[in-house]
Formats: sequence, structure tokens, C-alpha cells
Amino acid sequence: MSGFGEISERLRRSTVRVSSGRRQGFGSGVIWSASGLVLTNAHVATDAESQVELWDGRRVAARLTARDRRRDLAALQIAATGLEPATPGDSGALRAGELVIAVGNPLGFAGAVSTGVVHSIGRLPGMGRQSWILANVRLAPGNSGGPLADAQGRVVGINTAVVNGLGVAAPSNAATEFLRRGPQPSLGVTLRPMSLGLLILEVDEGGAAQAASLRSGDVLLIPLDDLNAALDSGRATLRLPFLRGDTRRVRETVVRLAPEAVAA
Amino acid sequence: MTNELASLSSELAKVVESAARSAVAVHARPRFSSSGAFWRPGVIVTAEHTVRREEEITVTLPDGTNAPATLAGTDQGTDIAVLKVESAGVALPTTETPQPGNLALAIGRSEDSGVNATMGVISAVSGSWRTWRGGRLDHYIRLDLTLYPGSSGAVVVDVAGRAIGIATSALSRIAGVAIPASTVNRVVDEILARGQVSRGYLGVGLQPIELPEHHKGLIVLSLGEDGPAAKAGIFIGDILVSLDGVAVAEPEDVQNVVESQSVGQTVRAGVIRGGEPRTLPVVIGERPRKD
Repeated sequence: MSGFGEISERLRRSTVRVSSGRRQGFGSGVIWSASGLVLTNAHVATDAESQVELWDGRRVAARLTARDRRRDLAALQIAATGLEPATPGDSGALRAGELVIAVGNPLGFAGAVSTGVVHSIGRLPGMGRQSWILANVRLAPGNSGGPLADAQGRVVGINTAVVNGLGVAAPSNAATEFLRRGPQPSLGVTLRPMSLGLLILEVDEGGAAQAASLRSGDVLLIPLDDLNAALDSGRATLRLPFLRGDTRRVRETVVRLAPEAVAA
Repeated sequence: MTNELASLSSELAKVVESAARSAVAVHARPRFSSSGAFWRPGVIVTAEHTVRREEEITVTLPDGTNAPATLAGTDQGTDIAVLKVESAGVALPTTETPQPGNLALAIGRSEDSGVNATMGVISAVSGSWRTWRGGRLDHYIRLDLTLYPGSSGAVVVDVAGRAIGIATSALSRIAGVAIPASTVNRVVDEILARGQVSRGYLGVGLQPIELPEHHKGLIVLSLGEDGPAAKAGIFIGDILVSLDGVAVAEPEDVQNVVESQSVGQTVRAGVIRGGEPRTLPVVIGERPRKD
């Protein structure tokens, strides 16, 4: 018989702290294989190189191998021995009301645990067409990228965000699909929906948007759902109307869509 | 691999699955939908404060389809609104008062993500409780569980899947409250019969005051125009000391007497006017409804 205590102890050994990017923000990650594959959020692993701290205090360098902004997932590779990978679960079989446990490094606490039940599973306004796991577990900045596990300790999700107080996790099945097939086509931008259109907050180095000369501050004149549908359509190019500075003059650019550049 | 936690988890998911047959999403306000539950065949109950329009209300049924609903009536005092739909739906069995510490789940629905659940414990249960909105709940049932936007109107169930009541975040600032099933039954009966919940009304503004020898009373500060008290000949400045033979020291004492009488009955009001006690018969009226 195992309770939350045993489960959280096992999960802690599979949970790492990830620091990446200029701002050196902290997030969490899950050891996915004994050979050093670590899963985390795309918004945690922002750079090609990051630092990973294991549960026993060892610090190792991590290399970004794949990144999917739309699913908010990233794969890192580390070289270390004695890794204890998490057991993945089947998020497709998860039901509302099931007990779940989240482990991560919120607000600088290492290996903090939070428990609750699955609130619902489904789409979220403004977060694309894929489904997300919503859980009434208490998450905080730093939980991002960490595991959400079921009552048997199997990882069913990667904690990603907090929406209206609810924990939001990317389903483990989306994570395995990401690892098998690679990232979904993406513009390589951070967007904020506004009444006018989609405001570009940030443009990724080497992404499709940068190649198409889009800049932060530009406003894309396309609804988010249409943009996602266009990205999923399998087309090689995408014609995008946008505004820059002058709100009366609509400009246009052609974005070449390719799977997101993988850091070498 | 079996363990107690996994079987508890599976039991909880079954409770949610079972209660999901009754849980609906209610679209009657801007931005967030709220939740509701089938209470009787074709009758859905939700939290009144989440119903912001009287027409063009729709509900998302347990099978995921949307259906139009008509507003049968509302009761602000207990925060209950009653909707009618064509589909019969499944109403859950109800339960007697829970004990503090019992596990409870609030089960709601949203159009995008289907059924949703949040879990916690019953943190306090007491007897009859008057809400700040003026209604009376048969019990005060405080919930130690997180209510999210859209959770109000969700059915609160015990671990056997029986309805304890309807969740609302509008009756207490410190916690969510379950409107007890017995209160929901009473209000639903009255709304279905008469379209509203009538409340007894005297038409007086009262202020507690101290009388000599530690007696207490309520001085009349205002009178509703053509209200029951005015018609009975009560004046501003009269001191109300009893109603229907019950001593009254607080406005709530008056509310308790007025509410237990059906509208239209005559009660004897004991007042002190100019130092002299006298008794006046008052016909209890019906509280005018705010529009």
C-alpha cells in the first residue's frame, strides 16, 4: 500500500529544477528516461542551454533538443548517472474527481507537494484546440514543468499554468506525442490576444516569425483559433495580415512554416 | 497494483461520473457560465446571483448539447433560481445534514471542458441561519473547498453521491456555502407553485433601544407608505416590544415572527406610545419585490 507520502518521495527523485534564459527564472522538470531525457515547459526552457539541479543537489548542464510552444513543452538532454525516471501514465484514461499530486519547486521551495482532484479535462479559452488537465491543486510560479501524478504515482501531466486559481497541466499523452513526432508547427512568437488582433510580445531567435521579418509590437490580424487551424493544416506557407505602427495600414507577410528549429 | 489511495481515487471519480448525470452549465450572465443541477424532472436549480438575465438563458446538458431554459422564478434571499427545460434529466437523491469533517465534492459543468469537480470537507454545520440577503437556510453548511468562477450553482455531494445542497459563493465572504437540500426543496415548491417566494412584510424601519429596568424594544424610525404597519395605525416613535405574543429586542426577532406567518394573517403588535402600552392588530403584508 502506498499513500501520498511514498508517492511524493518517488516523484521528488524524478523532479528537477530547471533554470534557463537571461532572466534565470526557475521552473521544474521531470526525468523521463534513465538516459537523461528531461521534460519541462517551453516557457521554462527558453534557451538552447540551461542548468538542471537534481533532487540530490547535483547540478548538470542541459541541452534543448525539442521545443513546442503551442503545447508548452520542451525536451532537455542531460548527462548524469543514477537517474530515477518517472512512470508515465495514460492521461486519456484520467477522469474528473481522481486524486492527483503535484511536485515542483514553487517560489524557491524544493520538492514541494500539493494535492487535490482532477477538476475537468478539456479545452481552455485562448489556449488552442488541444485539451488540458485542470486540477484543484495549489500551484505557484516554479511549479511549471513539474509532474502532476495520479493516485498510483504515474505522471499524467506536466504542470503548466494557473487559470482562475486552477492548476493547468499539459496531458502526458500530449507529451509522449511531442517526444515521438516532434513539435507542432509554430510561428515562434509569444502572443497576447487584444481586441484589435494578436499582439506579438516576443519573437523567437531563428523562428518562423523572425524569418518573415515580424517584430515584437506587430499586431496579427487573425483570430487565435484560425491561426492554430492554419498552423495545423499542413500548409508550407501562411499569408498573414498585420499592423505595424499605423493602425490604418494593413501590411502582409508570408511565413514559411517548418517544424521549429531544433537547437544543435 | 492496488492501494487504498488508488481505490479512493477511483471511488471519487465514480461519484463524479454519477453526479455528472445531473450537472449542467447555465449560461445566464456575461463571461463565465455557472453550474446547475437537475432537481426534479425538467427542473434545474442554480445560484440566483449567477442569473443576470431573464431571457435567452441556455443550459449545457449532461450529454453536451445546449438547450433553451425558461426562468421559473428566483429567490434572492436564499440565492436560488429555478429553471425549466424540456429534457427531464436525472435528479440525485438527497441526504440529511452532513457532519463537519465529511468529504464533499462540488460538481459542476462548463461547455468547453464538460463536468468538473472540486473536493474538500464540510467545515461547519449549524442550525437555521439567516443569510445577509434576508432568506433563511434550514442549516448553515460551510464548505472547505475551493469554488472557482463557474462553480456557483454546482451540486454538492457526499462520497455516496447524494446531494447535500447547492454551492454558492455569494452568501458568505469567508467560505463557500451549501444551500441545504431541504431548503432547495422548499423554495422550489414555492417557486413552482407561485413563481416566487413571498416574504411577510410589516413596512417599518426599526432601531433597538434600551428601556427602563433592562427591558428592550424597537423604536419605529420609518414607515413604509401604505404598508401594513401604517395601515394598522402604528406611528413613527412607537416602541415595538412584542409581536404575536413574542418579545422583540432585535429586528431579527421581528423577521422570525413575520416569516413564520403566512401573508395575510393578523398578529397583535405590542407597542409603547407616550409611555403607555397598547396592542394593535396588524395584517402581515407581502414584501414588495425589487425590479
